[in-house]
Amino acid sequence: MEAVNRKITKSASTSTLEGLMQSKDSSVTQEPLDKDKLAWVLITPSILFLPLVLGDGYYINVMNFIAIYSIVALGLCLLLGYGGQLSISHSAFFAIGAYVSPIICLRYGLHPLVAIVLSQGIAAIAAWGIGAVVLRLKGHYLAIATLSFTIIIEVLIRELDWLTGGLEGLSSIPPISLGGFLIDSDWRFYFIIWSVVMLLLLFGLNLVNSRVGRIFRAIREAEDIASLFGADVKKYKVKLFILSSVYASFAGSLYAHYINFVCPAAGSIMFAIEIILVIAIGGYTLLWGAMLGVAFITILNEYLVALAEYKRTIYGLALILTMLFFPNGVLQGFKDFARILVQSLKKGART
Amino acid sequence: MLQLNRVTKNFAGLRALSNVSFEVKEGAIKGLIGPNGAGKTTIFNVITGVFPPSEGAILFLDKDITLQRPKEIARVGISRTFQKPHLFKSFTVWENVMLGRHYRTKAEFFACGLRYPWAKREERMIREQGLGYLRMLRLADKRDRIANKLPMGEQRYLEVARALSTEPRLLLLDEPTSGLNDYETDQFRDILFEIRDMGVTLLVIEHHMKFIMSVCEEIVVLNFGAKIAEGSPEEIQHSPEVIEAYLGVEEEID
Repeated sequence: MEAVNRKITKSASTSTLEGLMQSKDSSVTQEPLDKDKLAWVLITPSILFLPLVLGDGYYINVMNFIAIYSIVALGLCLLLGYGGQLSISHSAFFAIGAYVSPIICLRYGLHPLVAIVLSQGIAAIAAWGIGAVVLRLKGHYLAIATLSFTIIIEVLIRELDWLTGGLEGLSSIPPISLGGFLIDSDWRFYFIIWSVVMLLLLFGLNLVNSRVGRIFRAIREAEDIASLFGADVKKYKVKLFILSSVYASFAGSLYAHYINFVCPAAGSIMFAIEIILVIAIGGYTLLWGAMLGVAFITILNEYLVALAEYKRTIYGLALILTMLFFPNGVLQGFKDFARILVQSLKKGART
Repeated sequence: MLQLNRVTKNFAGLRALSNVSFEVKEGAIKGLIGPNGAGKTTIFNVITGVFPPSEGAILFLDKDITLQRPKEIARVGISRTFQKPHLFKSFTVWENVMLGRHYRTKAEFFACGLRYPWAKREERMIREQGLGYLRMLRLADKRDRIANKLPMGEQRYLEVARALSTEPRLLLLDEPTSGLNDYETDQFRDILFEIRDMGVTLLVIEHHMKFIMSVCEEIVVLNFGAKIAEGSPEEIQHSPEVIEAYLGVEEEID
């Protein structure tokens, strides 16, 4: 009720010219109350204040990894959940970010921030090259083509040992520093990484609720019809692929400068598949769902160390259960459940 | 406005259209009728670039558009609806029309993701204009429903609204009244006149004879991919070729 009142006063206070344009029912052309935005405004400060309440501890380390993987998951969620393009190359782009930035840093002695920016440029160019070729393909064929790219990157990382350190990887990667302030502890990194995640999430939320987001969803549903409305489908697919891949490589760069060490495991195929799995569990048509999935799997990973050997079995089981009970992901399932609950409560109140 | 010159379309030996020529004048509502399989929808597909004609040329506003692709056709100012509605099923009614505004607007990745002020203004314009087209098709009350959940008749209305929102000069309607009840059909007649009065030229494929005879000034009749008659509704109704195509010819039985 309060929200409605606020809407009305808001529309009354707009200038007369706008008031005339919005003729009959001006309240409907106002932006609807954006629940995602509201959730963002509430959740962002609570995440950033969390360590101030709970203090230092191991959980900060876990939260940092959740943040890093969230960035990858957000990128894939945009591509797969909204654009409908299944790509198994996100671990490859994560690895590109995780290797290129330290290599620039260690070999040419550039500042880590400069190196991170440069490596995103390189990742974007790679994504453009790959995307322009493989996005001609659809469905399974696209998945297989991107998977081969992942395999190529994985092999290159192991074989080019003069550049990547081979199986030993790269160590003593300098941490990020902001004007002399070194981001070298879990505690300090926490604020940086979570600010980045929430900003990237906000960018994603803005994007999917806009002209461009509508075109992505249209492409997912029916490419040929989307092109009938003047959309250059191919161009949009490539752009989305680049954006999504840069999310992954950005996460990779931050990861490398955070743990100060990278090894070939960063680019493994299993990682690419895990990210898809995480999105399927959380809900691939919701950006929040992707993050929830990451949090769920990461926490599972951390606190079930004793069951490490059965990790994949547990993942598989979780996926099967999700698919059976929440085919659109856990978050969507919760939302539907809450809606049904509210409706039945209302009904109960009326009778 | 639109001219078809000796358009022929072959599908692997099957001649779907042979030497079809006709013209649609600016501001007209032109009908396109014929028995099933006569090639009516093929004409729409050829005009909108779904597949190019095998021979012949198509001119729109004196420009050759014969080989244009669908995404370019929208930009020249031709929009269409389908025999079976092809809506974006998971979109709301409103979003379907908003998508139609796509190429008339220009906010791209960063403008949308960072919500530049001008992109916000543009988005508000898209919402308002979309709502305007929904009002015109009597769908404004249902704007937040999922498109797929609408009854068939309203899905057809929505397709028209979405096609209109691209601001076409020429609108191609493929059997707009099939699946409409009598009340909706009458209402749709008024809507067609409203659309024409907006300055949009219409080419309508139709099976509903009473409807097409009451809205069109001129009608083209196709049979087996060839044009067999063209003229006013009265002329068509009295043309022996048309009667033959629809009712068949009497055969003498010995």
